Parts: sequence; structure tokens; C-alpha cells
Amino acid sequence: MRRARLAFAGVLLAAAMAGAAVTVAYGLATGFDRAARQADLPDVIVRFRPESREEIDRIVHALPNVADRSYRFEATGVGLGSDGGSSDKGSVEIVDGGRRGYAIVDGRDVDGRPNEVVVERGVANEWHLHVGDEVQVGRLGTLRIAGIAVAPDNVAFPLASAPRMYVSGTWLARESERQIPVSQALIWAANPARVDVLLQQARATSTQIQGVRFITRSGVRVLIDSAAGIVIALLVAFSLVALGAAATMLAATTAADVQRRLTAIGVQRAVGFSRARIAGEYAWRAVRAGLPAAALGVAAGSLAVRGPSGDLLEALNEEAPGWALAAPLVIALAAIVAVVAAAAAWPAWRATGRPIVGLLRGAEVTRPARTRGAREAAAARGEPAAARRRLPLGGGFAALGARLALARRGRAAATVVVLAVSGSVVLLMLGLASLVAALRDDPASVGKRYDLSARLPADRAADVRALPGVADAAPRYVVQGADSFALGEPVKLVAFPGDHTRFEDPPIDAGRRLRSDREAEIGVGLAQALGIGVGSTLAVQLPGGGEARFVVVGTVRALDDNGRVAYVRPRRLLAADPDASPQIVIRLEHGADRAAVTRRLGTLGAQATAVGGATTRNGAFLGTLAALLRAVAIVNALVCLYALVQALGLVARERRPTLALLRATGADSATVAAVLAGAALAVALPAALAAFALERFALGPLVAHLAAGYADVGPRSSLGQAALAVGGLAALSVVAAAWVTRRAVAEPPVAGLREE
Amino acid sequence: MRPPPARCLTASPTLHRVIVVAARGLVKTYGSGRAARRVLDGVDIEARAGELVAVVGRSASGKSTLLQLLGALDRADEGTIEVAGTRIDGRPERDLTRLRRDRIGFVFQFFHLLPELTGEENVLLPTRLRGSAPEARERGRALIDRLGLNGASARLPHELSGGEQQRLAVARALVHDPALVLADEPTGNLDAEAGAAVLALLRRAADDGRAVVLVTHDEAATATADRILHLVDGRLRP
Repeated sequence: MRRARLAFAGVLLAAAMAGAAVTVAYGLATGFDRAARQADLPDVIVRFRPESREEIDRIVHALPNVADRSYRFEATGVGLGSDGGSSDKGSVEIVDGGRRGYAIVDGRDVDGRPNEVVVERGVANEWHLHVGDEVQVGRLGTLRIAGIAVAPDNVAFPLASAPRMYVSGTWLARESERQIPVSQALIWAANPARVDVLLQQARATSTQIQGVRFITRSGVRVLIDSAAGIVIALLVAFSLVALGAAATMLAATTAADVQRRLTAIGVQRAVGFSRARIAGEYAWRAVRAGLPAAALGVAAGSLAVRGPSGDLLEALNEEAPGWALAAPLVIALAAIVAVVAAAAAWPAWRATGRPIVGLLRGAEVTRPARTRGAREAAAARGEPAAARRRLPLGGGFAALGARLALARRGRAAATVVVLAVSGSVVLLMLGLASLVAALRDDPASVGKRYDLSARLPADRAADVRALPGVADAAPRYVVQGADSFALGEPVKLVAFPGDHTRFEDPPIDAGRRLRSDREAEIGVGLAQALGIGVGSTLAVQLPGGGEARFVVVGTVRALDDNGRVAYVRPRRLLAADPDASPQIVIRLEHGADRAAVTRRLGTLGAQATAVGGATTRNGAFLGTLAALLRAVAIVNALVCLYALVQALGLVARERRPTLALLRATGADSATVAAVLAGAALAVALPAALAAFALERFALGPLVAHLAAGYADVGPRSSLGQAALAVGGLAALSVVAAAWVTRRAVAEPPVAGLREE
Repeated sequence: MRPPPARCLTASPTLHRVIVVAARGLVKTYGSGRAARRVLDGVDIEARAGELVAVVGRSASGKSTLLQLLGALDRADEGTIEVAGTRIDGRPERDLTRLRRDRIGFVFQFFHLLPELTGEENVLLPTRLRGSAPEARERGRALIDRLGLNGASARLPHELSGGEQQRLAVARALVHDPALVLADEPTGNLDAEAGAAVLALLRRAADDGRAVVLVTHDEAATATADRILHLVDGRLRP
């Protein structure tokens, strides 16, 4: 009964993890397509400086492969507010007739009626707004919310920095008695697979339009997938680890059960039962016991993460799968049941392969004696008989426990593997959580070496450098462009005069640092997206219409903008885009008073901004992510505990007469606990070292690769983490030993002695 | 329960009068309802220091159960048990553990040697439970020497004959100098020669001043006993 409960718990735990992983992974993997379909997301969104609708429509109308089009005007930096929150960086989209590219999820769309607004779902959630509520929208004043919308062309507020709302262009035109210009064109392709033809032509015919930027549906998807991919990969790997652990421990349990029933199996074989039938009986028994646990676990896991998964999808402006999730969950359930059946059938299948006479003699718990030849060879080496067979352990009851555990070498190895893999995942999760926290808080984690930035002309850098407390200062230019050959691919150009590593020092991945105005270092994310590398030419279309070309001399593991960044010198950039204006970035002296320097910068007429991590504005999101990773680590630690309890339970069951004998000779609970703790530590300590090595040399680099080739995000295990692995597993061993001891000493000693 | 001071192995005429174990009205029932079986039905028994008492009876008559109750390995449904002057019925498991460790030695039919330990380690096992004092180890080695087990001391149990294993088990039962030795069919798995050697050891243990209660259906075993009791229908008869 106790064994059945433990097996039930193992399957339940693994199934819960699989259910959770499938729910999140399926939601993330399909969320964008679902949202894009629901929102009727255009294949191309073109942004530009405001133009007359007729002029833009003339150009778009002439493009090839266009099925439909519509236009908007986007006002940025608008003050938006309500009782629940406010922002002065709001974005108001003035929409006109035609297709919208967003989905109304509550209420209705704006349709020309006055004083109405549609609010993006992220804003509504963050500011607790509902249909019928009122919001302040810049100079338009107080508007009533007609509906809530989702547009998957960007992540939701507050993950996106600007809250977004939509108002009717028809109403505004009527009110202002003038035509509203447009600054966005939404284009639906007749053949979405040939968007490149449309883009090429659009680029050629839009040269007179200022500030053109193209965003493609596939480009948005790539950006979101690169973030979701790591989560999916981690969750799938995590659930596989859990399932593997459960399967291994179930197989070990069945193996012990088979060992006890060898005589009965021998009788079955003697009277004509086939191997397949006996193995099938074990499988069927396991399925009957495992199916409810697996179903319950999958359902519980799925329900447990449904809320957070839905929140995550909402933050990405995507839609939850709803009933579409049922199919993958059923497949996961079938896979788990199949694994359970296989884990139960395999030991039985192996056992039934032995000679029937041997089966009828039953099982020997101790290791089989060596062959006569092996004994003679060992004797020839001069080893005493006992020394040859004993494990190299000293005295003490913990050492006796270790001998008991290691007597079953196959199971001990399986337990070590399970613990090592689970332990390495724990280390990985903790490492990733630390990394995420660092990304949130520490600019140095993304290679930023400056502490403050200030909006000042480039020629004021010398004045800033002269301020007390300032170690270095330089102008930093940032220009958003697009690859000249693939206009849907955004490129962020970052330019410093001289050596940029004084201020931004992303690690070199290949090649070398730039040395001249014609050279560039590009992020690995950009290199991967454009298929270029060291020696290639980077041609960037700039917002002003000019083009800047550079020779790629190195690739760097930069995290900003998913690695779609290029470091250059300012000369060519400014030649192609003379309007580019810099910030002054400031590195403080060690121990300098940041507040004092900020005040001194104020005397120069600049308002300084403190530099945060990679995505400072998403601090809450990253904090949640770090907490989630730590929670996953805790759950995986529970997997370790389960594996230890299961392994110790098997030792206690198989060695029930041994423990009973110890108790009969006067061993108290503490002695029994020492024996079992020794048994647990015999597998836990090697597993801890293996976990450390596995994380450091395999999982860490693999996840770094999966996470994003563009960034140096691979967490690296430290000695502290090794100590954590060893200490954690040792602590879990003690807990598991205490748990199993409590059960082992609950029965009178004679019960175990009778079993012999 | 505080154990009395340890005694030396040397026999003492005075000690021969001391009752080491005494049980009154022991009742033990296995199963419940219609399947309930009352294997002991008011058993009275006592054994004095220096005495070897043999309990005989048919298979499944409750002999081993009686020994397990006397050795605090199981609890009686009714009745009282006193070991070395202390009532043990109703005592917490912690006290019973200490009693087994300090006062009782067991010899089992199936030896119950730990397969991972050498002969010497098995013999010294009870001394380790008491903190593995050097003098206890010395006493254990002296016992091994005295019982002629030097050849078996460095070997693992599966390398030994049944007789050697049971002699090691007797050495283990004696190593911590218990007042009471309980032997459950100690010759049941041995040939006549090995059985005789084991019985001689138990006789000697009694002669050294211990109370030895022997459960057996071996005629040769009863020949070494000072008293023979028959367990019939759950009761002991002379």
C-alpha cells in the first residue's frame, strides 16, 4: 500500500510537471499565430513620418502582391491617465475605415461615435479599466471606453513601455473639420509567402517618404519566438527530466517487486506463461495504477499554470489556447502512461528471460559470488578474501548503509543519474534566476560600464568629463535602422567615438574589435538573423533615408534588442543620418556620489538618468520570471527528494531483515537513521558532483545556446553552487532518511525477522 | 529503565539463584475475527541465571512467538514479562531497544548475519551500538578466538558454512555479555556435528552465568537443557 502510494505520488508529480509544461509550451508556441489570426494582423506594417493619406495610398496601391490595406495616424508621447494609472508616453492610434489589425476582446470597436476610445488589454489590466469607464487622452480630454483590444504586433503594456489606445479618425476629422494625416500603413499580402517582393518594391517607391520603417508579421514572430523559445525549451527539458526520474524510480520499484516475486514468476513460466504475458501483466497493473495518477497530475499541472500562463500570454498580447489545449494534454497523458507501462514491463521482461530453474530458486539480495576463476586470480594477487569483496568503506553505521545502497549497483547508478540530472536542473534554474535578477538590476551584466546618461550635445562631453566624480564620458549615438537587403529586419546602430569598450563591453564571440570608421562589430543575434559574419558587409537603411555600410570585423554576445545591434564609429553614421543626436554617457569614479554628480550635471543643463539592467522598465516582469525559475528549482528539488525517498524505501524494504536484525540487537531509531542516511549519501554525494559537472559542462552551455545565440546568458556554476548542490542533496538525504526511518521503526522488529 | 551494572562472564554460585526472565499469563493472538488464532494462551515461564531452559513443541505451536515476546521483539496481548528485574510489558520502544542492546542476546535459526559484514564485523555489531569501546572490541576478538572462529572472522557470511555462520551468530549474541540469551531453533539449519558445536556453546553460555532459553524440536538440543518445557495448545507444561 505504501509502495503504491509512493509510485502514485511519483507519477502524479511527473504528470503534473508534464501537464504544466505542455500548457505553457503549447500556449507560447501557438499563441502568436492564434492572436495574429484573431486580430487579422497585417503582413507588413510600414511606419513613416506623417503624410497625406492620398499620397501614401497612391504608393501602396501601386505595390505588387497587396490584397488589402488600411491607414492610421500614430500620436506618441501623449498623456494618458485614469484612476488606475497614468503615463506621459502614451501612444494613440487614430484609426480609419478598413481592416484594423487588432481584435476586440470586450465591448466594441470605435465607429465614429464621439468621445469614445478602445483601450489595449494590457493597459486595461494594468489600470483596472473596463468598458464604460472613462480615461483622459491628452488634448482629447475624457473619453469613454467602448472596447478592449489586443494587437499582437507588439507585446502588451507594461512590457511595452507605451500604453496604447485607439480613437476614431472619422470622429476626429468631423470634429476638427480637416483631414487627419497618416503615419502607418497596414498591408495584407495576397500571397504572404512572397512578402519580400512587396517589400523590395515598397522600398524602391518610398524614397520620398521620410522615416520609413518596415515591420513584418514574420519579423514580429521571430522576436517573440526568440523569447518564448527558451521558455519552451526549458519547460520541455524540465518535464522530460521529471518524467525520466519518475520512470527510472518506477522501474527500480518494479525491479524490486519482480525480485521478490521471482519464485512466483518461475512457477508461471513453468506452467507455460509467456514472457510477454507476464511482462504485460506488470504493464497492465502499472497502467491501472498509473492512469488515474497521470490524469490527475496532468490536469492539476495544467490548472496550476493556467493562470500564470494566461498572464504570460496576455503580456505578449497573445491568446490562450482554450479547448485546443485538450489534444496535446491527452497526448502527454498517453505518453506518460506509455512510459509508466514500459518502466513496469521492462524489469519483468528481463527477469522472465532467466532460466526457469533459477527463477524457482528465488532471489538473492546479496551480490553473486565471483566465479572460481576470478577468485583464484584475486588470490594470486595476494588479496584477502573479504577485502576483495568489500567496498572501500570504513566502519560506522552510515558506511553500512552505503554498502547496502551500493550492493544494488544498477539501481544505485540509476538513482545517481536521476539525482544528478534533477540536481543539475536545480542549479541551472537557480543560475538562470540569478541571471534574470542581474539583467534587471545590474547594467554590467549586459556589458554596460556607464552609470548615468544625459541628453547633451556631443561637444559637451569634455565639460562632463571635467566634473568631479566623473571618470569618463563620451557621446553615444543610437539609431534604429533596417537591413538594406531585408527591410523587415531591424538593426540598432550604437556609435561611440574611439574605443566603445570603455562604456559598452559585450563579450567578443568571433573576430576582433573594430578599429576604424568603416568597421563594425555586430551582435550574434543580428548575424544570425541576416546570415552574415566576420568579413561580410552590413548595409543599414537609416530613418532619414540614407544608407550606411560597414565591414563586419567581429561578432559580440550582446543582449540588448535580442542581439540585433551593431557597434560602429559615428563618422559614417552621421554622414548617412546627420539628424542623429547623441546622449552623453558617464562612467563614475569608484565610490563617487551619484546624486552629487547628477546635481552637477544639472548645472550643465542636463537631466541625468541612471542606467539599469537590460530591460529596466520590465523589472516586475523579470522579477516574476526569476521567482518562477526559483519555484521550478524548488519543484525539481522535490523530485530529488522523491527519488531519494523512493530509493531509500526500496533499500528499507529489501533490507527489512537487516534493519530488523539491527533493531533486535539494540539499534535505536538514530542508528537506523544513520544506516539509511549513509545509504542516501552514498548516491547523493556522487550525484551532487555529477550534477555540478553536468550543469557546468553540458546544460549551462546548451541553455545558453538555446536561450539566444546572441547573448552570453549561459549561467556558469561556481564553487558556491557546487557547495549548494552537495549541501542541498546532503540535506535532502537526511530528510529522506528521517522519513523512511520513521516508517521503518514503526513496526516491531520481529516483523522484519519473520520475512527472512 | 536503568540497566544494572555489567557482570563478568565468570560463573558465580550466587547468580545462579537470580531469576533473569519471568513471564506470567502471556497471551498472543494472530489475525482477527474468524481468522484469529491464539498461539499463546496464558504462558508462564521463568529462567534463572546459569540455567538452560528448552522449550519444545510442534511446528507453529508458538515457540518462536514466546521467544520474541521474552526478547522484547514483539508485544504480548496480555500478561507480564520481567527481564533482569525490570517489567518490560507496556514500556516504550526506546526502553525495549536499550534492554535488547544491554541485556539480551539472540540466536536465530537462519543466522541473520549481515551479508555485507565480515564474520568479525558481525560479531562486533552489538558493541558498535554501545559506542564501540576498545575493550568491547577486545572482548569480541577474544570470544572469536575462544570459539575457534579465527578462520571465519575475515570472511563474508556467504563464504562460510552453516555451522560457522551459526557459531558467529552465537558469538554475536554473547559479545556484549547479556544476562539473557534467547536461541530460536539454533540447530534447525545445521548438520548434527555443527549443531552439537552450537549447543555446546549455548551450554557454556549458561554455565557462565547467563539464562539461556532455547526453542527447539531437536532431541539432541533438549539433552543439553537443565529443564524442558512443552508448549501445547498455547500453554507450557513440564
